[in-house]
Amino acid sequence: MSTENPENTAESAPSKEWTLEPETEYRFELDPGSSLAIKLVRGHAEIFGAELVEGKTYLFGSECKAAVFTWQGCTLEVTGHPSTEYVSEETPMTAYANLHIAFEQMRVRALRDVRGSPPPTDEPAASQDPPRILVLGPENSGKTTVCKILVNYAVRAGQGWSPLLVNVDPGQGGWAAPGAISAASVFAPIPTYSPASPLGSVATSAPTALASNALVPLVFWYGHAETKKNPLLMDRLIRNLGGHIDDRYLNDQEAKPSGLVVDTPPSFASGPTTDVHRQRLIKACVEAFNINVILVVGHEKLNVEMQRTYGARITVVKIPKSGGVVELEHHYRERIRNNQFYSYMYGHIIKPPAGITNATLGGETLDDFILSPSSTVISFSDLTIYRVGAGAMAPSSALPIGAQRVVSEMQPVIIDPSQPGSGLLNSVLGLLAPPNPDENERYDEELLDLTIQGFIVITNLDISKKRMTVLAPNQVSLVGKTAIVGTYEWQEQ
Amino acid sequence: MSLYPNYYGQPSYANPPLPPAHNGFHHPYQQQQYQSIPPLPSTQSLPVYHVDPVTFRRDYASRLAELTVNSRPIIQNLSYIAQEYTRFANIVAECIEAHIRRVPPWMKLPAFYLLDAISKNLYDPYARHFSAFVTPLFLDTYQVVDLSTRSKMEEMLLTWRTASPTGKELFGVPPQVSIERGVWDTTGNTNSNLPPGSTITTPQVLRELEFTLSQKERALQNNPYDGVAQKHITVLHQLRNLVETGVSQDQLHLILSQLRTLLRNTPPQVAPPQPVIPQPAVWPPSYAPVASQAPAAPYPPPPVNAIPPSNPAPSSSAPSNIASLLSTLVKAGIVSANAPTPPPPTDEKVASPEHSEQKRIKSYRQAVLAIPVKLNSNDITRQRPPIVDLLYDRLTVQCKQCGIRFVDNDEGKKSMNNHLDMHFRQNRKANQNVGRGHSRSLFVAVEDWVHETIDIKGKGRADGTRPVNAKVAAAAEAAKREAELRALSVVVPLGEEAEMKACPICKEVLQSEFLEDVEDWVWRNAIMKDDKVYHATCHAEAVTSTSNLAARLRNEARGSRSRSGTPESRVTPPPTRVRPTDVKAPSLSPSQEAKTTGTKRKVDPDDLPLGHEHGGTPPLKKLALSPSA
Repeated sequence: MSTENPENTAESAPSKEWTLEPETEYRFELDPGSSLAIKLVRGHAEIFGAELVEGKTYLFGSECKAAVFTWQGCTLEVTGHPSTEYVSEETPMTAYANLHIAFEQMRVRALRDVRGSPPPTDEPAASQDPPRILVLGPENSGKTTVCKILVNYAVRAGQGWSPLLVNVDPGQGGWAAPGAISAASVFAPIPTYSPASPLGSVATSAPTALASNALVPLVFWYGHAETKKNPLLMDRLIRNLGGHIDDRYLNDQEAKPSGLVVDTPPSFASGPTTDVHRQRLIKACVEAFNINVILVVGHEKLNVEMQRTYGARITVVKIPKSGGVVELEHHYRERIRNNQFYSYMYGHIIKPPAGITNATLGGETLDDFILSPSSTVISFSDLTIYRVGAGAMAPSSALPIGAQRVVSEMQPVIIDPSQPGSGLLNSVLGLLAPPNPDENERYDEELLDLTIQGFIVITNLDISKKRMTVLAPNQVSLVGKTAIVGTYEWQEQ
Repeated sequence: MSLYPNYYGQPSYANPPLPPAHNGFHHPYQQQQYQSIPPLPSTQSLPVYHVDPVTFRRDYASRLAELTVNSRPIIQNLSYIAQEYTRFANIVAECIEAHIRRVPPWMKLPAFYLLDAISKNLYDPYARHFSAFVTPLFLDTYQVVDLSTRSKMEEMLLTWRTASPTGKELFGVPPQVSIERGVWDTTGNTNSNLPPGSTITTPQVLRELEFTLSQKERALQNNPYDGVAQKHITVLHQLRNLVETGVSQDQLHLILSQLRTLLRNTPPQVAPPQPVIPQPAVWPPSYAPVASQAPAAPYPPPPVNAIPPSNPAPSSSAPSNIASLLSTLVKAGIVSANAPTPPPPTDEKVASPEHSEQKRIKSYRQAVLAIPVKLNSNDITRQRPPIVDLLYDRLTVQCKQCGIRFVDNDEGKKSMNNHLDMHFRQNRKANQNVGRGHSRSLFVAVEDWVHETIDIKGKGRADGTRPVNAKVAAAAEAAKREAELRALSVVVPLGEEAEMKACPICKEVLQSEFLEDVEDWVWRNAIMKDDKVYHATCHAEAVTSTSNLAARLRNEARGSRSRSGTPESRVTPPPTRVRPTDVKAPSLSPSQEAKTTGTKRKVDPDDLPLGHEHGGTPPLKKLALSPSA
């Protein structure tokens, strides 16, 4: 299957050639600090639905665990030291491809409907709804990968689809940073190169070759890793996002047939059936995004539960889980989160294996992924900081019967940085978009309904001088702005 | 017999076999050119890509040999190479010249397009190299090609007048003048102050019209929010229809001089970058990238493209590019094989892509719906998906940069070309950006996100099958307007039923008919003005044509002039509220969240004194033309 390349010189990293049979995939896992370069020598291959170009060298890093799949067979040249590498013949790609075709059928029908042409009379009656897909599954089931493959196949169909990809998993940031709930329209295949950018990258000032490295998401800030931390806020943000998506569709009817795919946190899939919040949040997604297909990745019980709850009006499909999914330990997720905040600010800095000079990272030249954030010292009074709900708060259900919470879970509480124990140092804050300029349109909880402009981190607090140092992604003026602090912290390592 | 002297001990050009000398192309000039090659640079000094001039020459010439038809991918590819290897500019220039002189007449035009593209897009040092031989090359070629090629060459020549980055002649004044003199054999044509006595021919005006139109269309393409350009285009289209139907000599005069005024005033309104570079730290994000990038660019954007430096979408802010240039040439009818006459009216051009798109959608729909897959767990795991057909076999043309595939037909090629343009712009931008920091953009505001689609479509859609189609919209608008006009009627005055009345404009008899609603005889499609009955459509056309058109052109030309005279009024000194001394790591090109959103972001009104100026166009590129329509 694989052959050592005899031409290796002493200083370059070892390179191996792998010949893949049709419908197999080469899987690899990387250790921290190592990188891998893969070149497609012959044939056709794709990484989670994004096709590789023959002869181009793709770089992977930051503990990336991924797979190169081929429908037709191919030869790969792999340079570097993966901690694990093997070829698997058992992949769920057939099922995912069938899913894609089923969704394409929905899309073409929906487009026909939007364009106003009647369905032919001999065609059996079918829904004219575009696919609006909710992907559920437990931890380590490959939900995000399924979402990515489905979206990538859609944009590759050559039909001009631009599906919306929605990320409601605050535990992983998708294209943004952890703690965010966001949606972005995808126009080109999403590359895979680092787990810090599992769903492509948010636009930077650098020119990008791939549209998916310059995504334009709408972002709400939830601020916590766990959905159970503040389910009410989650619920509200999900519905807000859904509302804006509706507005977008109203504006561009032609965008609607592309449909949308929603990636969800694992907490949606695990936990007792009686978990009210879990049920509520799934319901919020179904309603907010007008879901008509639920995909359950490899989880029998959840499938049955969803069939029972939604089966009457929503197509619930259990889909196989990939055998390549790696069980991720807690520390790995921690590192990935840190890495996400880092790459939000500084971009990706991945050193190619020795001897590799012309590699691209996610299709871009390496330099274009190096970013310069801006660190600014501002006065305490320049930035208004809120926390939504009280700090460490037990859920309402845990309170003694009859007891009322003093501060509601949804109430924005102003945080004074000059108070010791404000907990602001090293906190990640969501920098809110400006509120409605019309005073009359303002309302108490408007803060909860504002999207964010970006993430900022308080890197230093000087209480005596009433000044703080803030790291921002670029030289945005923070003066007069409002930010919301969550429970995420980040420190430059 | 080889025309290429084998100087460097390399084997002679392998492909294609060189044709025998024909039509006197075996010009001594060529030999001299080759003999005058400066000593080759030593290969040691070359960077990573280890290419020596000899190999480069051979490679470039053999690639050039493939340019037998007007193929944009090939032209682009050759331009890329030229861009990459500016140190071999002399070799590129020599190869192109030799190629043009060598190939048969029908193959010359594509190579001229290449020369044109390289000069306009890369300008320095290529224009310099080309200017050495462009005059004889152009004129010699002009002598031997057929009529339609000639008109295309004339068209190209017109674009050279203003195609240098400073809005001047691409190859300098002397070559331009001598070529024009050689082509038209008159000095009057090169001079925008038309001598009163000279006769102007309709084709000449049409050509200049097309040229102006193409410039405007390109401007619009780069900046879909430019309402002024849009208006210009509409006007120019009308003007073209008018000229095609035939107008008097005086009108031709008027139109031509207006056109030239308009054209002359185009470059200044876009060319000068803002002289003041504001502190990036305090610039409102939407403007910052522009303000900080434009002035530092290696050279100002060639105004031929009419891209304001303030364009907020980085993808489209790259100046003149081969693709848009060529697409303009296509639009102008240059590329269609045998069209010495102006291209067909707009609506036809609009109709055909629409039609083919419908067909494509339909055939894909049929193919997809024919696949017997049902959305349930059983079906998806048991069926064999014909996915390879859908994702690979149907889409055989692949972008070598990012792997996106396109259908191998006209429409697919068009999408591919748009896609390559995007890459080209990005690459070019990346090259210009070397050494300047990048930073993460801010997320967009709700308003912008909700309306995102328009801009994105122009940018980097996977296939670009749904471009912003201003033309379709314009055509629909025109059709609606015409229907309204045709619905107008004038009651036939008593006693005149029997009279034959003709429209004073088209001299055709007005058709009368009995209208049930008013129980009277009426003239359909008629309007009464100053006691005369006109066809409503004729009248409307007349109203919007000649005098009015000229006036509008004049107005707009004046408007842009006055605006360009006061660029500083558009630059607002940024408020200095962030203490710049505190900024630790200033990134030179700050936020660019406006990248894909044309609408301005909502910003703190204090930060942004221009904040009230809302609408699709960022203020910097908004021309202060009052809407005259």
